[in-house]
Amino acid sequence: MIKVNELTHDYGHGRGVFDVSFEVGKGETLGFLGPNGAGKSTTMRHLMGFSKPQKGEVSIGGLDCTAKPSEIMKNVGYLPGEVALPEGLSGRQFIKMMQDMRGVRNDERVRELLERFKLDPSGSVKRMSIGEKRKLAVVTAFMSDPEILLLDEPTSGLDPVMQEEFISFIREEKVKGRTILLSSHIFSEVEALCDRIAIIKDGRLVSTVDAAEIRHGLHNIMTIEFENAGDFTEFGRQELDFALRDRSSLKCSVVVDDEDINRFIRAIRRFRIKSFAEHSVTLEEYFMHFYKNDKHFGGVSYA
Amino acid sequence: MLSLPLLKQSIRSNAVMWGSMTGVMTLLCVQFSMLDMTRSLLFTIFYGMMTTILPGIYVLVTANKLLASQVDRGSMAYVLATPTKRSTVTFTQAFYLVNSLIAMFGVQTLAHLATNAAKPIALGEMGYTMLAGDLTSKMIAQVNLSALMVCIALSAVCFMFSGIFSSSKYSIGLSGTFIGVSILANMLAMFGNLGVDGLKNFKYLTICSFYDYQSVLFSGNEWITKLIFPAAIAVAAFTVGELCFSKKDLPL
Repeated sequence: MIKVNELTHDYGHGRGVFDVSFEVGKGETLGFLGPNGAGKSTTMRHLMGFSKPQKGEVSIGGLDCTAKPSEIMKNVGYLPGEVALPEGLSGRQFIKMMQDMRGVRNDERVRELLERFKLDPSGSVKRMSIGEKRKLAVVTAFMSDPEILLLDEPTSGLDPVMQEEFISFIREEKVKGRTILLSSHIFSEVEALCDRIAIIKDGRLVSTVDAAEIRHGLHNIMTIEFENAGDFTEFGRQELDFALRDRSSLKCSVVVDDEDINRFIRAIRRFRIKSFAEHSVTLEEYFMHFYKNDKHFGGVSYA
Repeated sequence: MLSLPLLKQSIRSNAVMWGSMTGVMTLLCVQFSMLDMTRSLLFTIFYGMMTTILPGIYVLVTANKLLASQVDRGSMAYVLATPTKRSTVTFTQAFYLVNSLIAMFGVQTLAHLATNAAKPIALGEMGYTMLAGDLTSKMIAQVNLSALMVCIALSAVCFMFSGIFSSSKYSIGLSGTFIGVSILANMLAMFGNLGVDGLKNFKYLTICSFYDYQSVLFSGNEWITKLIFPAAIAVAAFTVGELCFSKKDLPL
């Protein structure tokens, strides 16, 4: 449904997007994860037809985004990253304006959404808090029940309760078979919602991963604290994949794949251990690794 | 071509500015035409300056708000996230701008027609001693039409800058310079007309020169020919603004 092919737009000073390619299939949710300024919004901007690619193509539903944006918008709900709403309107007037501009009137749906997000649209937009404006934008993006949703950092500005509510709301939308592109830098939200996750950094797509894989845990990391330095040194000679060895605290972190777990347990039996902790590599850690420039992380090498 | 909901929003968000400028202009007009102290200056001061300065300020602020500022703030994203073409957006906003000026001059013309009917003024009283008779309703309508056309041209140039630039500061900067130069040159040229010969040539620096109330008062036809130029400038500038806005990359 959504297709980005070798999209390049160089804004100079290393900013922009370079050779970004990905696809979002019908009914799929793709998470678009990256630090600030990585190019998430720029990519969205091209999908919305606001900017023209210098190179490459972007299309939605087979229609070119730069040639036919108004045609495409009939099936697209867009939640901009900015919550700058048109001036001089009350919340209700804004909803009415967007309904008229979309040519879709579904008051029942609007009421439902307002109730769900606990939003009172009667006041002036100007006086609303960022969270309220965001809710208003959510309502207008979803009220016409569009097939395709482009959500640019949808939960920023919402309180934790509303973030939860939004996530469960998107889950329901997914069941309805919506195609969703969700950009975010919040791991939990991407982890909870997306089928696949594309990670973008400095304008380049660095990795696309299956969310199921990450939920299961990419790898296990065991952290062991030894009682004495002798054991610490001795343990260091084992043939294991060490992620960290810290002599001052006598702590070791070892990366262990599921199939090696027995070998690992046999190896540590001989030592006197003070404490032991195990955790899985989460999306957050996986992602943090792209912030930092190390190429080796958690036993997984990336070229 | 025209988006009614967008037009409604433009009317709402610019209502205060439109209302205050229309109010000030109408009040000044009533004051100048009714008070004995100021009646003789009705044309030099009011029609000579106020009918370009006040609408000038209005179009400067409004033209920027209609496109550039919405792109700058990001609210244009909501408008363009609907099945609305960019050309529809520019057409609607230009339509609003022109019609709001028509309405502004309409209100002030009606007010002047009313005060003139209540308290007619002789042309001689305003310094045109060679002319006989009173200021007629026809003249009032013609003067305002002449001023309106020039103001539409001013608005079109501001609109063009608003369409070209995606940032308010450039749009309002250039529009402001343009409006400022136009109005100042017009005032200087007016002093030229009043006897300071060295300032006469300033009339070539401003499109306000196409606004010719003297021709109307002398019942000449020059003012009609002079409508063509601002009309052409308006069409050209609106077109350039439209094309630039439709083609450019929007940083939304």
